[in-house]
Formats: sequence, C-alpha cells, structure tokens
Amino acid sequence: MRLQEHPIIDFTKRRGRKVTIYFEGKPIEAYEGEPIAEALHAAGIRVLSYTPKLNRPRGLFCAIGKCSSCLMVVNGIPNVRTCITLVEDGMRIERQRGLQPLPKNVKSPRWKDAEKKYGDIIVIGGGPAGLAAAIKAAENGAKVMLIDENPILGGQLVKQTHKFFGKREQFAGVRGIKIAEILAKEAKDKGVEIHLETSAIGIFQEGDQKMVAAVKKNTHLMEFYGKAVIVATGAMEKMIPFKNNDLPGVYGAGAIQTLMNTYGIEPGKRVLIVGAGNVGVILAYQLLQANVEVVAIVEAMPRIGGYFVHAAKIRRLGVPIYTRHTILRAEGKEKVERAVIAQIDEKWKPIPGTEKTFDVDIIALAVGLRPSVELLHQAGCQLVYVRELSGYVTRHDKRMETTVRGIFVAGDSSGIEEATTAMLEGKIAGLSAALLVGKAKPAVLEEIKKYQDDLNEFRSGPFGQHILKGIEKVMIHD
Amino acid sequence: MRSKAKTVIIGGGIIGLSIAYNLAKMGEEDIVVLEKSYLGSGSTFRCGSGIRQQFGDDANIQMMKRSVEIWKNMENELGYNVEFEQGGYLFLLYDEEELKTFERNVKLQNKYGVPSRIITPEEAKEIVPLLNTDGVIAAAFNHTDGKANPFKAVFAYANAAKKLGVDIYEYTEAKDIKVEDGKIKKVITDKGEIETGRVINAANAWAPLINKMAGVPVDIPIHPYKHQGIKTEPFKIGEINPMIVSFKHDGVYMTQEANQGGIIGGYALKYGPTYDITPTYEFLRGVSYRFSQIIPALKYLNVIRIWAGYYAETPDDNAAIGRINEVDEFYIAAGFSGHGFMLAPAVSEAIAELIVDGKTSKPLWFYDPYRFERGELREQAVQMG
Repeated sequence: MRLQEHPIIDFTKRRGRKVTIYFEGKPIEAYEGEPIAEALHAAGIRVLSYTPKLNRPRGLFCAIGKCSSCLMVVNGIPNVRTCITLVEDGMRIERQRGLQPLPKNVKSPRWKDAEKKYGDIIVIGGGPAGLAAAIKAAENGAKVMLIDENPILGGQLVKQTHKFFGKREQFAGVRGIKIAEILAKEAKDKGVEIHLETSAIGIFQEGDQKMVAAVKKNTHLMEFYGKAVIVATGAMEKMIPFKNNDLPGVYGAGAIQTLMNTYGIEPGKRVLIVGAGNVGVILAYQLLQANVEVVAIVEAMPRIGGYFVHAAKIRRLGVPIYTRHTILRAEGKEKVERAVIAQIDEKWKPIPGTEKTFDVDIIALAVGLRPSVELLHQAGCQLVYVRELSGYVTRHDKRMETTVRGIFVAGDSSGIEEATTAMLEGKIAGLSAALLVGKAKPAVLEEIKKYQDDLNEFRSGPFGQHILKGIEKVMIHD
Repeated sequence: MRSKAKTVIIGGGIIGLSIAYNLAKMGEEDIVVLEKSYLGSGSTFRCGSGIRQQFGDDANIQMMKRSVEIWKNMENELGYNVEFEQGGYLFLLYDEEELKTFERNVKLQNKYGVPSRIITPEEAKEIVPLLNTDGVIAAAFNHTDGKANPFKAVFAYANAAKKLGVDIYEYTEAKDIKVEDGKIKKVITDKGEIETGRVINAANAWAPLINKMAGVPVDIPIHPYKHQGIKTEPFKIGEINPMIVSFKHDGVYMTQEANQGGIIGGYALKYGPTYDITPTYEFLRGVSYRFSQIIPALKYLNVIRIWAGYYAETPDDNAAIGRINEVDEFYIAAGFSGHGFMLAPAVSEAIAELIVDGKTSKPLWFYDPYRFERGELREQAVQMG
C-alpha cells in the first residue's frame, strides 16, 4: 500500500515514472527512483529471503544498506542489497533461498583502469555531518568529492518530518526533510562533486595521497584521490534479543521512516514500538501522521527517555507507553502477526502473568544505534568501546582528526548523538580538513572555535553530560 | 607460569602446537609453548587454507603424502572437526612448457602413490563448471589434495596438546635465551623466566630473532614477506571444490570454503622483507582482476575481507628444519615459505621422532638448516600466492 495523503509531504509529486518489475515471475508496479525492497513492501511482500541454515524467512530491517537482511537475487545475481538498489523497468527479482548459485556462462569482465577522480578532500557519507563538512571545506576553496551509497542525499534527515530544536543557525523550527534539501542544494552550489549509489570499500594510503576505493551501482570501480578523508558514515540500527526477532515485520525504526517518509509507502496497519527514547516517540508521531495505528510503546527503563514535548504529544493522542516492560516474542507465520510484551522486575526479568498480546503487523525497534566504524577500522584508526557513545568509536582530537593523519570523523560514526551535533562536528571536520590540505586560511580557527563552543553549549543539558563523559574517553588532547 | 620445563617451544602457530602435541603423544613431559600474541596470530590464521601433495621434488611429495594421511584422520585423532575436505588441487596450464613441467611432476608424484594426473580443459570444466578455460591447454589435477580450516586446526592441536599436559602461554614473549657452554639454561620471557634444557624455534617469521637469542652460529636466511588474501561473500557451496591455481595469472590460487561458502585466495604479489602487514589496494584490485579472469561469475561477488600475513621465506622456499649442533638441544622448524599449514602434521611428527628417538624415517634431511651455509640450495619449491 502506498500513502495517498500525508500532512507534510506530497508523494504524488515526488514519485517517478511508473515501471514494471517481476517478483518471482509476477509483474509488480513500481516507481523509478525507489529501491527494490521498498517497492516490494508496497506490493505487500514481506519475505525477501530464507536463511541458509535454518531456512527462516527474513525481511527488510535497516533499509539503508547496512544490515544485509534484504539480500535477493536480481537479474540472476545473488546477494543484492535490495533496500538501496533502485528498480529498473523489467527487472527480475527472486527471493534468495539460502546460498544461491552464481550465474552460468558469464563472460570475463573487460578490465580497464578504474575511473579516477582527483580533489583535495573526500567525504564519505552524505548525511547531516558529511554535507556540513563538504560545504565548509568547499566554502574555503577545497575541491571536495562526496560519496554516498544511498540514492538520495541527506542521510537520515530525509525521513525526519519533525521540526528541529536549538538555535536559528542550527535550523531550529525547520523540518529535517527541509534541512536535507537546503544542505544538498548548498553543497551543489558550492561545487561539491557528488556521487550517489557509490559504496566506499576502503581507504588506502597511496604515496602521499589518500585514496578511497568505491563501487558505483554495484559494477563500476572508482578511485577517489585527495589529501584528506572525512568519514561521516552514520550509524546502524541495533537489534535486541527476543524470540522470533528475525520475523519479517520486525523493522528498525529507521526502516519504517524510510518507507513512509522517503518513499510514501505504508509501513503496516498496526505497529508496536519497542523503545521510548527520542527515536521511538518521534516515530510514533510520524506513524500517526501517516494514519498508521500505534498500539503501544514499550520501554524497559522506568522512565521515558525521549524529549518531553514529543512524549506528551504521543500520550495526548492516546498511545499508551508501557515503562518497565519488554517485548517477549513476535508471533506469526512468515510475518509478524502478534507481539507479546510483559512487565519486568528490578532484575530485568519478565514477571509471569503480566503478559499482554497485541495484534500487530509491524514491530518497530527503536532500541538505539551503533556507530558505523567499519571504514575507520579498515583505515587503521584506533578504536575504543565507549558505552556512552553506543559502541566502538575512533579516537579523535578537538578538530575531529583521528589517530590516522588526514582522516577525520564526524556525526554518528564518531558516537551516537543527533543531527544538530552531527552538523556542528561536520563543520569542524570540514574546516579542519581544509586547513590541513592548505586551502583554508588560519582565520578559520576562530570559526572552528565557535562551532566547538556551540557543541559544548548544545551538550550542556542532561543528555549532553552523558555524551561528554563518553567523548572524554576518546578525545586526544593537544 | 611455571618456572621449569623440559622443553620450551617458541611460537604458538600450527607448527609449534603440533610439535607440542606430537612430543606429548610420544610420552614427553614438561612441555611449554610460548606465544607472544594469540595462537595462530603469526602466519597460520592468515594462510590460504590449501593442502596439496602436488610438489615437484621427492621430499615435499613424501612429506605431504604423510601430512594428508594425518589430515584425513585428524578429527578422529584430535577429537575436533578441522573441516578437512579433499576437493583436489587443479593447476591450469596455458602453454607447452608449463605442461612439460607438470607432466614431469605428475610422474614423480605418481611414483609415491599420489594419484595426480593431467586432464583436458573439458575435464577441468566438468570439475568446475564456472571455469573460464579460454587459453587452457591442459590441467594437472589431484583429487586427494584439499583444504582445512586453519582456525579449527590450531585449536584442535592446542586442545589435544593441553589434554596431554602441555602448558600453553599466550601473550608471553620470549625475550632472551641463556646458553652456557653450549647448553641451554633458561628462556627469559616478559612474564618471567623458565629453566629449560631444550628449545624449539617454531617462530617462523620471527625465527631469526630466536636464533640470535640462542647464539646460533649458523646462517639460516629467513625473511618475512607480506602476502595477502581475500574472502568474498558466500554463494552456493560446492560450486568450486578444488583449489584452482594458475601460474599464468601470477600464481593466483582460490577455492570455496567448504563450510561457509565464500571464496578464499590470493596471488603472488609480495612486499618485503617487512613485518608490516597492512593490506594494499594494489592487491585488492589485482586479485579481483585475476579471479574474474579465471571464474568470470566472481565479478558479481563482493569482497568482504582482505588481510595480510607472512611468508617466512628462505632462498629455495623450503623450510629450515632440524637440530642445531652448536647449541645443545636447540631445534628449528621455521621458514616455511607459505607451506607451513599443510606440512605441519608430518613435520611435527618427524621433529618429535627426531627428538625422542634420535632419528626419523621421514626425509627431514631435505630441510637441513645448514644447507644455506654450504650453498646447497634445493630445487625451488612449487609456491603460489
């Protein structure tokens, strides 16, 4: 099902040309510009693959190309990440059943030199951090190349229909989707060279240059050369253990936002949300905006973690929030049909007799994110596990430079926070990188200082204290 | 950590661990294995997993024939499945000269009962239907060659050795060896000292450092070279059973893991001598090109891992194995030049026999550590990757 009406976004204007794709031989209508898995979801298809060992059905989970839950056989080629691969007219799509054979009678590829791109700074990731970094670096005269494996710029901003807090210059009162548009336009206007559907596969030192190897549209090898790299690869959704947590219909909160707010696809009819942090409560509100019923939010902690304004709004709209509760299991044949929750005691054990069952078709997990540090790890940056920042993160200094000279980090990949701080970190990283490559004037040090102050100010609240404790563990002091 | 031991083995890779196991099996007591990092961390965990008898000289063929017998029975003997699979080794041959060399090798292998044979390109394609046989004039195939899981093999030997009373100390680095009047007195580690009268240098890439500690007066040239490997995402298991080798494509080798289904392999791009093991883009690109020339459908697979490890190379690519006469009870089994994993079962058995019985029926003479000094290099061992 596709959303016909939405109070904030007009999807009828957004959708591309109609095309036909074939799912297991059956024709399905889709729109140009939307990924395969999202189009299949709109057609009611939840099971995308079966696992190799236990033959369990699997569906979408992260919807941003990070979790590999959506691998399918596309035009005979197995292991395609269908959540970020765009539909093409006539495409043949099959469920991946365990490990699939490779296509037969294939010709050796014609091998030529990879397409090479030269510049000063390579930014990996086109979310709030990456875009802010690219803009600041380009503004100071650096030639910036930005790559992102998703088909749209803006990272997770493109699915945020709510208005931001903070200062006016930090886009207070502006919706995330609008911020994405503003940043994307600014980056293009400032001459940032943008490569979408391009996955960075490694950062290498080639002589005195940094080289980011990348693959465009799954087939085309590219080499990006520069003097500095800014890694702004964001985060990926966390999973929690409960019975049948892999049943199709157990979706990451971000995946649900992608479906409904990016592509105008109804995620489901009735949703249970696990986690009452900011993401959980905002998601609840966005679901209600899209006319989807939210049966409840469960939260293991005794209190709601999300911003009070958002939580109050949800409560007013009649969504019960069960604190001190957890999800016990998902139930259903091949897809989610029910969710069972229970109250937990002070030792976090479910209390027998407190079970409640909800008829739902979607269980949304909003149980946190972890930084995407794979490329940083590969590049040799020193990683440390920091609970406050939600996982392994790289050590860095005040200018966001990591332990590898010339590699910078910004946004969620440096520790889970939010879009506002991601943009501030991005600006700092962009300016610092521009300084390093000799493009920015020393005067930008003052601008860097200003953003550092803004960060401190933003983190001065109770949420920020926790983050600051984490950052202290990774900070390299002069 | 214990303060005394009859035998101290330096190096917790498959060579050191299998020697410990075989010594204990033959009744030796008081054995200690020192590993400066974690077990297998030097070369074993970084190896390409291949096990073959298709060598070009008598000694390596005999040693590998014995090794394969042990590999076959390893699960029984050590009580742990090491995922040994006999998918064979398939050497692709592209010209008459290559063919002539392999015909000679096959004859020699057959002499020792290794059932290798020269086959046609069509037969090769039957064995691996995904194979691109353009330009292939023949292939050498031996179905009793194979592969095993290096991680599991290390744990199998380590656990079996522990059960027989061997003490294994990880993160314990040998810092010095005290020798008086040609006799070993003790090994000094960063965690304490161990009085001992016997040391076995199984440190492979770091073996020269250990020799120096003991004051070994023999020149045993072993140099660490960086070689690399990749692993791809998995696909249907059983599509590429043998280890496929092509010298025409710069010593490329690849096979599909028997249990997980990814392709594992590499080619002969080496850097060094160096202890640096940072993977390189040159290799990643080079290996992708060569793999997709041999199995074109691999162009659709993503590489999910790239790593580097050492080939501890000697001038003739054969290991230095044996007793050092000038330092009483000092033995070396190192410099395996990329063949340590496959040779370990037979080599460790032979070394244990040499120590316990004073002699071995296996052709250890071939790996004589004194040959370099005497200028008696062996024929270059068949090496790839």
